[in-house]
Amino acid sequence: MKKRTLSILLFASLGGFAQNPAPAGPQARAIALTGATIHVGNGQVISNGTIVFDKGVITAVGNGETPTNGAEVISVAGKHIYPGLISPAATVGLQEFESVRATIDYQETGSFNPNVRALIAYNTDSEIIPTIRNNGLLMTQAMPDGGFISGSSSIMNTDGWNWEDAVLKADDGLWLSWPGYFARSFDYDTFAVSLKKNEQRQDAINAMMATFSDARAYADLKNPAPKNLKFEAMKGLFDGSKCLYIRANYGKDIIEAIKFAKQAGVRKPVIVGAEDAGRVIDFLKENSVPVILGPMHRLPNLQDEDVYLPYKLPGMLQKAGVLVSLSYNGEWWRTRNLPFQAGTAAGFSGIDKEEALKMITSNTARIMGIDNVVGTLEKGKYATLVVSKGDLLDMRTNVIEHAYIQGRHINLDDKHKRLFHMYREKYGQPDIGK
Amino acid sequence: MRKLFLTAVLAWGIAQVGWSQVTFPRNGVYDERSGLYAFTNATIIVDSKTTLDGATLLIRNGRIEAVGKTVSIPAGTVVTDLKGKRIYPSLVDIDSDYGMPALQRNAPGGGRGAPQYDSNKKGAFNWNQAIQPETEASAVFKANVPQALELRKLGFGAVVTHPHDGIARGSSALVTLADDRENLVMIRERVSGHYSFSKGTSTQTYPNSPMGAVALLRQTYYDADWYKKAGKTAEANISLAAFNQLQSLPSVFEVPDKLGVLRADKIGEEFGVQYIIKSAGDEYQRLDEVKATGASLIVPVNFPQAFDVEDAWDADNVTLAEMKHWEMAPANPAMLAKSGIPFALTTANLRNKTDFWANLRKAIDYGLTEQQALAALTTTPAQLLKIDNEVGSLKTDLLANFIITSDNLFSPDNVILENWIRGKQYVYSDKNTPDLRGTYALTIGDRSNLKLTITGKPGKPEYQVLVDTVKVTPKISVANDLLSIQLQLDKKQPGVATPGTTRLTGYREGTSLKGEGELPDGKTVKWTAVLSQPFSMTATAKGDSAKKTAPEYGKLLFPFVGMGNLEKPKAQTLLIRNATVWTNEKDGILPTTDVLVQNGKIAQIGKNLTAPAGAQTIDGTGKHLTNGIIDEHSHIALYSINEGGQSSSAEVRMSDVVNSEDINIYRQLAGGVTTSQLLHGSANSIGGQSAIVKLKWGESPQEMMLKGADGFIKFALGENVKQSNWGDAVRIRFPQTRMGVEQVYFDHFTRAREYDNAWKAYNALSTKEKARAVPPRRDVELDALAEILNKKRFITCHSYVQSEINMLMKVADSLGFKVNTFTHILEGYKVADKMAKHGVGGSTFADWWAYKMEVKDAIPYNAALMARAGVTVSINSDDAEMARRLNQEAAKAVEYGGISEEDAWKMVTLNPAKLLHLDNKLGSIRAGKDADLVLWNNNPLAIYARPEKTIIDGTVYFDAQDEDRKHDELQKERARLIQKMLTAKAGGAQTQRPTFRRQRMFHCEDVEGAMAEGEERQAEK
Repeated sequence: MKKRTLSILLFASLGGFAQNPAPAGPQARAIALTGATIHVGNGQVISNGTIVFDKGVITAVGNGETPTNGAEVISVAGKHIYPGLISPAATVGLQEFESVRATIDYQETGSFNPNVRALIAYNTDSEIIPTIRNNGLLMTQAMPDGGFISGSSSIMNTDGWNWEDAVLKADDGLWLSWPGYFARSFDYDTFAVSLKKNEQRQDAINAMMATFSDARAYADLKNPAPKNLKFEAMKGLFDGSKCLYIRANYGKDIIEAIKFAKQAGVRKPVIVGAEDAGRVIDFLKENSVPVILGPMHRLPNLQDEDVYLPYKLPGMLQKAGVLVSLSYNGEWWRTRNLPFQAGTAAGFSGIDKEEALKMITSNTARIMGIDNVVGTLEKGKYATLVVSKGDLLDMRTNVIEHAYIQGRHINLDDKHKRLFHMYREKYGQPDIGK
Repeated sequence: MRKLFLTAVLAWGIAQVGWSQVTFPRNGVYDERSGLYAFTNATIIVDSKTTLDGATLLIRNGRIEAVGKTVSIPAGTVVTDLKGKRIYPSLVDIDSDYGMPALQRNAPGGGRGAPQYDSNKKGAFNWNQAIQPETEASAVFKANVPQALELRKLGFGAVVTHPHDGIARGSSALVTLADDRENLVMIRERVSGHYSFSKGTSTQTYPNSPMGAVALLRQTYYDADWYKKAGKTAEANISLAAFNQLQSLPSVFEVPDKLGVLRADKIGEEFGVQYIIKSAGDEYQRLDEVKATGASLIVPVNFPQAFDVEDAWDADNVTLAEMKHWEMAPANPAMLAKSGIPFALTTANLRNKTDFWANLRKAIDYGLTEQQALAALTTTPAQLLKIDNEVGSLKTDLLANFIITSDNLFSPDNVILENWIRGKQYVYSDKNTPDLRGTYALTIGDRSNLKLTITGKPGKPEYQVLVDTVKVTPKISVANDLLSIQLQLDKKQPGVATPGTTRLTGYREGTSLKGEGELPDGKTVKWTAVLSQPFSMTATAKGDSAKKTAPEYGKLLFPFVGMGNLEKPKAQTLLIRNATVWTNEKDGILPTTDVLVQNGKIAQIGKNLTAPAGAQTIDGTGKHLTNGIIDEHSHIALYSINEGGQSSSAEVRMSDVVNSEDINIYRQLAGGVTTSQLLHGSANSIGGQSAIVKLKWGESPQEMMLKGADGFIKFALGENVKQSNWGDAVRIRFPQTRMGVEQVYFDHFTRAREYDNAWKAYNALSTKEKARAVPPRRDVELDALAEILNKKRFITCHSYVQSEINMLMKVADSLGFKVNTFTHILEGYKVADKMAKHGVGGSTFADWWAYKMEVKDAIPYNAALMARAGVTVSINSDDAEMARRLNQEAAKAVEYGGISEEDAWKMVTLNPAKLLHLDNKLGSIRAGKDADLVLWNNNPLAIYARPEKTIIDGTVYFDAQDEDRKHDELQKERARLIQKMLTAKAGGAQTQRPTFRRQRMFHCEDVEGAMAEGEERQAEK
């Protein structure tokens, strides 16, 4: 008995302090959340709404009259229900401490790595993950970086015992870094960074085109011998089963990258970063190419630019009919502020909050090809959703009270809360806030 | 005896005139000449104010003997008739590096290589390699034939030269540009002392920032003073001795830009030196401030090339400021002259010295008068460096340095015929070459249907032959009276298969030309050209006589940035009506309230206030009025952040490097920020002294400084100061552990205490005793540390981990002072009780973590935990981007930890004001406080909030309603300049490709040059 207590204590002290909470078990019984304002994610808002889900899937969404059919009814009156937010182009799970090389796993050596898979390095035990969940992020795209083709990304749920368990969609796309029209150069005399025309660009594009042509020809082979793992990984680009996420910012680069992708036979190109997308709106629309914007929390690139341009850009694109999603391109812990980027878009670019919400839910799901299962709160989709005290897009009210991933009720504990409570108790302070 | 002496002097004087001696032997038979020359019938420009027509210049042995209309010419004089020609004093350049050794630039490396803490210059010199007052230009001068030729051709006769290397650069020398042995070329040693902010070729790590350069120079002034009084007993120091000697000479300070002029002058003020400032050519952008320094300038004429703006998108990379500078730079000399700032012109900074005349004429087109230009190249430079008894005018006894010109020196048609230097003639265009200009009837053999016209300048004639009506351009060379002509007579004649070249050789006879030549087929012919019509200016030079209209250019901007103001904004009387007012006082948040602003202060708060006469009323209905945001931790508006050359840089002052032209000032006004503490970085345990500024967009650095604020200093702990993430090469500087950091503090404060005591003891002496005692050496680093001990300067300390936070509080307690603020302080929540007890504030990030090991336990609840434990908490940016939305960062304290909205708002207003000891005038809305206000469209903590007006001292610096108009104007001005550049390019002007100079965004850790990699990513905090 004594021995057992000791082991429990030991376990508790480890589990209670150093580790993330255990992943949630499968949904045991049907649940109905009632009395909430439901933000569907497609622009629609249902006040005093009810959402019912069972076995991880939404079975009904509607107003207060919606039948709950024997589900466990949980009143969340006055609260707001949102689809779980999707964070694209992130390194969450792939890095822990930026300055500690041993904890960094998003960049492989070499420049042509279509076959490496970010999924494999995704660490479900990262202490970052529970902290982003607490701001509503229930899915994150594990993205490789570096080189010309960095590898393939996967979309992960932010809860799971291991990567196999957490994955929502494996290998959803490949990541390509477009050779820039401008190259950065650093002057050691003045310590100034400047951009100059990239003279090696055309060579790089030619080499890429040759590689894509080879890959496309390879994709036509029934039984290729020898087997080329890199080209195997690229097959999906040509049949539309994988996206090609292209990192490009300058307007000219965006145009060239899209033209390249079309010519190379890539079916689903997506532009990522797109800081200068404002001047290629028509081109993006005509070519039906979606955009994942990089951090809005950046400064304007040009001295003479509108000081609010980064804040206005999402709305400009959305209003013009470009499919646009928001991201923290290449960041990890900071992605938890994704809902506030949507809020900023609503505050500064003349679109309403529901339109802004799309950019972190349904639009992102459509771009990634997971809109059949997530992105909106509609019947038949996964019950991946959060209940917030108030407006999810505003810091003051983004307080997640419940989170469900595929109907599994997530334990919202995280390292930050644990340390908060530890010291709060030390000082005898009240338990307020999220 | 006395008579004898006088005779001796006279005899010596005569001997000098008649017979000059030198020390050096010559190979061969002596060929000494009298050097007696007279130039008669010339127009002599004695100096910029005196012109004599039909006058004579008499020189002997390299000096001017007489000048005037009635000069008697002694026998044995070589007389040259210069009728129709002019004589000017040769030009003088006083910022030259002529004949100086080439500078061995550091191998490009930079970055975080192994540091060098000691000087590489062995000997009893200054400890710092950049302090080289012992350098004497005269000792390193070597006459340089091609360099001299280049300058002579431009009309220069003498220069003051010095090696442009180091912060204290030593003394200059006055040398002529003659091709002669150095003994004869050098006129005067030790003309002026030279200084700069650039450490040049010094490989020593310190200083690696402009504020470090300022500190080092200030310290050198104090050291030299100490050395003079008492230091010699302690050490021998060649550099300090030399530095003291330099002080009797004019001091010249080279600066990199207009704000550098102000920075240099500030140093001069401290030491009673009025520097002559070698500026960069952009002074017109801050004319009033530059004038107020009282400094005379040495100004380059290196006007920028137009940018290649043909591609509409790429051209966006060129800033409006760059385009406007292109347009306005040629007006700089004229604007300086107009505002009465004395200045000399220099060829320094020119890409090619041969651009000098084109650029100078451009400056004249832009309004500089010829007289001003001449003065700036002759008398002014000579007077500035007190060499006007040698050069700069054509007065008796001065060096015979003069130029003979065909015309007005500044006329585009002018040719510099000769440049005489110390009585030695250098011919650039033979003044005796006949002026052949005119129209001639040309006959070649039996062909007489030809007409030859010669036009152009006397020294640069242009030729044309008319074959019937067909124009042919012949090649003609003229030497003395001989001519050589080649032309293709039948070039365009039909029916002739291969037009050949006819070659003619001949000579001048009277007004005619004649000779023999050879036709393409080898046949010999005679030819003649008979003058039919003499040359006349009006006949050919169309429009040359018409006075050019001065070019037009756009308006100045304050600051000189696209979003700058046409005029500096002024304080207004404002009545903001019916707003929700966040007072930060006992009254809390008042609905539907009026606030009256007068004379830069908050005058009244209440309901239904009456608008005074002249007040502007602003409707605040549905809006929120708050204090301006105060950013306790900012690095915007600075040229540099870290002086990381040593573990302590307490001597550096961020106020020395405030950049009033940083666009981020405006961007942050657009985010509601009104006051920022500009901090040194965190590269070393003891950083530099802070600058607290109000974001007065358009004002000078001096005007931005918050007057009467207490002094603060940055300290830093942890990974940055122990260089944990700097790579393996950087493992030398003490400390490399947190153990060592504590000792750095004890060591420095112990020394500061002793220093302070020494001064206190000295100051307590009677005047009599003081006269006998040796004062302690003034040390600007220990001054700052002693101020901390004496509670006159206050610490803001970069900190992360609880152990080190605790440590610094214990160090302070043991020395009897308090730490004022911990910044970042991400583990403050772990020692919040100790912090409250110590009385230290915490200025933190809302939610940053995970970027390095020491922030692994950082939590977003930190602000709430510290605040509830009784710590004054503020939320800061350390980031130019984040500072634009500090209201949102404050709102996170509501989210994490449930702080009330009112208290969260205080974390970016009242609390930072308290931490900066400014809460008596900032941080709340109360009558009598500074009118630093923001009118928001929403609750300021809402993610949807945006500032509509940002007001500082009653002056509106940002107005959202005015943004569109400002942007329209900016676009129009850009468009106008782009069209002008396209025209310039079409007209053959050289253009430069736009390079997109990305502004570096500074954070704590940025060491000069260490930011190249990974800059795109958010830099580490």
